[in-house]
Amino acid sequence: MSAILDIRNLSIELETENGPVRVLDRFNLQLAEGEIHTLVGESGSGKSLLAKAILGFINPRWKITADRLWWRHYDLLALNAAQRRIVTGRDMAMIFQDPSSYLDPNDKVGAQLRESIPTGELSGVYLKRRVDRQTRAERLLHRVGIKDTADVMERYPHELSEGLAQKISIAMAIAHNPKLLIADEPTTAMEPSTRGQIYRLLAKLSAGQGMSILMITQDLTAVIPESQRISLIYCGQLMETGPTEEVMQKPYHPYTDAMLSMSLSDQDIAPKTRLPTLSGAIPTLQHMPIGCRLGPRCPYARRACIHQPALTKQQQVQFACHYPLHKDSEHD
Amino acid sequence: MTKLLDVQAISKYYVHKDGWMPGQRICALEPLSFSLERGETLAIMGETGSGKSTIAKLIAGAERASAGEIFLNGQAMSSMTDQQRCRHVRMIFQDSLRSLNPQITVGKQLCEPLIFNTQMSPQDQKQRVHEVLRKVGLLPDHYHFYPHMLASGQQQRVCIARAIVLEPQIVVADEAFVALDPSIRAQIINLILDLQEDMGISFIFVSHSAEIVKHVSDKILIMHRGKMIEFGTTRALINHPEEQLTKTLLHSEHKYKVPLHSTTKE
Ligand SMILES: Nc1ncnc2c1ncn2[C@@H]1O[C@H](COP(=O)(O)OP(=O)(O)OP(=O)(O)O)[C@@H](O)[C@H]1O
Ligand code: SF4
Ligand SMILES: [Mg+2]
Repeated sequence: MSAILDIRNLSIELETENGPVRVLDRFNLQLAEGEIHTLVGESGSGKSLLAKAILGFINPRWKITADRLWWRHYDLLALNAAQRRIVTGRDMAMIFQDPSSYLDPNDKVGAQLRESIPTGELSGVYLKRRVDRQTRAERLLHRVGIKDTADVMERYPHELSEGLAQKISIAMAIAHNPKLLIADEPTTAMEPSTRGQIYRLLAKLSAGQGMSILMITQDLTAVIPESQRISLIYCGQLMETGPTEEVMQKPYHPYTDAMLSMSLSDQDIAPKTRLPTLSGAIPTLQHMPIGCRLGPRCPYARRACIHQPALTKQQQVQFACHYPLHKDSEHD
Repeated sequence: MTKLLDVQAISKYYVHKDGWMPGQRICALEPLSFSLERGETLAIMGETGSGKSTIAKLIAGAERASAGEIFLNGQAMSSMTDQQRCRHVRMIFQDSLRSLNPQITVGKQLCEPLIFNTQMSPQDQKQRVHEVLRKVGLLPDHYHFYPHMLASGQQQRVCIARAIVLEPQIVVADEAFVALDPSIRAQIINLILDLQEDMGISFIFVSHSAEIVKHVSDKILIMHRGKMIEFGTTRALINHPEEQLTKTLLHSEHKYKVPLHSTTKE
């Protein structure tokens, strides 16, 4: 796979009162062009921080190191802030869980949409540019599946349903045809039907224009069939990554396995029985376990686990665990 | 024996004032009745704006019904003091994160309901709070944290801890599971099941998740545009739904079948 985004051993270190802590610990991610990749992890696992590191929204006090942090042919860590902003602004976009954080409450949707269209792409004299902007804004709305464009453009953000607001934030995000869209839990608070619409829309956009999407979610059940690959992250460490089907059908990693059995999508489980779950709590930043950070909660942990396991590759899947659930070449 | 909760023909109207024009009555909830026994769990489902949150707020006493009455252990809720009601019914709000006070440590916030509603000694309060923190999957350390120092899922857990710290008879939760981490969500579901078994707590929750509803509830109430269109046992509504909407809402999407070899140990 030739990766359009290639991240190797990326670490982000924050200062805490107990000294520095790696919030992202030698994290790896490869994303192919036009691919949807879902990053699954519980809260505080560092998903949003990873997104920020990719986009370059970085607090100067964070210590960021990586063997590789490449976007297309750019070595992102070698670029200065200004160069980085240009690359990010041109190639990348992000949508968030709460679209209203993205929209200005005081301005009509139409005006905000027109503003999001890059001026460089418009040509001609002032009046023609204005008309051009309007047509493009309409086309953007069509692309995110909104038909009654005139009505929507006249509304203020608070007059939109959550699904509609998210569609508009997507329209604004794709206005400059980004090559990478990072969707940070775009549907968490939505009803299933709205959620489905947004996912279908994202999948269509990715397929239609070869846009890569990094989908971020806390929940394995939110992984859509269109997502070719998934990665599971726990406390800043990569647990398992690979083609979605393979990882879901036969996980190597205890964390993937636990996430699957906790997802409640197993119909055979009797009502009101206690669900299998990881015991204990996600550790605080100040108390990160050494070695494999799942250790204190992992039913398979043994002595060796105080050393961080290296990534093991089995065909397409990679995982970091000393005691995987099965060995490969058990052909069954 | 009296029913734990008996809801009789409650309805809710809002008066919408438009300038100096006479107010227009908007019906948020048409008269509806149902009842719940001790230890039972009721799930409320419906589309956005169908009145789910209104019911939740009326039961929790966060809002008053325009007509009708809610009886708790046979006593009319409208005749209770706030303190009486608070001890028996606690609510976890949809935007509970915003209901945490950013200036006060988690521990102090959890002590507050104990200070206002019980005669517990400070030592007992502290012990109870530690217990509750552990129950919701937080650590004793978190006692001294301020809300902003917690990840979003952890803040949600604080809200749940605050709801159960008084050991109420009814907990009302409006979409309180959505933002929880899967491992914590499973723990919380187990916790609710445990609390019900140990203390007979009843649980009323609004949820979109067909999986959670089917797993946890005894009864389901389906709302559509301010009307209760179906109410019955979970089994009845799953097996013989009368309304198409019920069928739709209870249909769970299985994108991936969970492999049966799953081996997670307790
Ligand atoms: N600006 C910051 N300063 C200090 N700590 C931070 C900062 N931003 C994030 N953290 C900490 O870094 C860790 C990872 O945070 P991050 O926001 O990336 O998690 P996440 O996986 O996105 O979680 P969620 O699912 O809750 O959104 C958390 O422990 C968080 O408290
Ligand atoms: S390395 Fe050890 S602690 Fe980590 S997941 Fe594997 S068995 Fe569990
Ligand atoms: Mg996040």
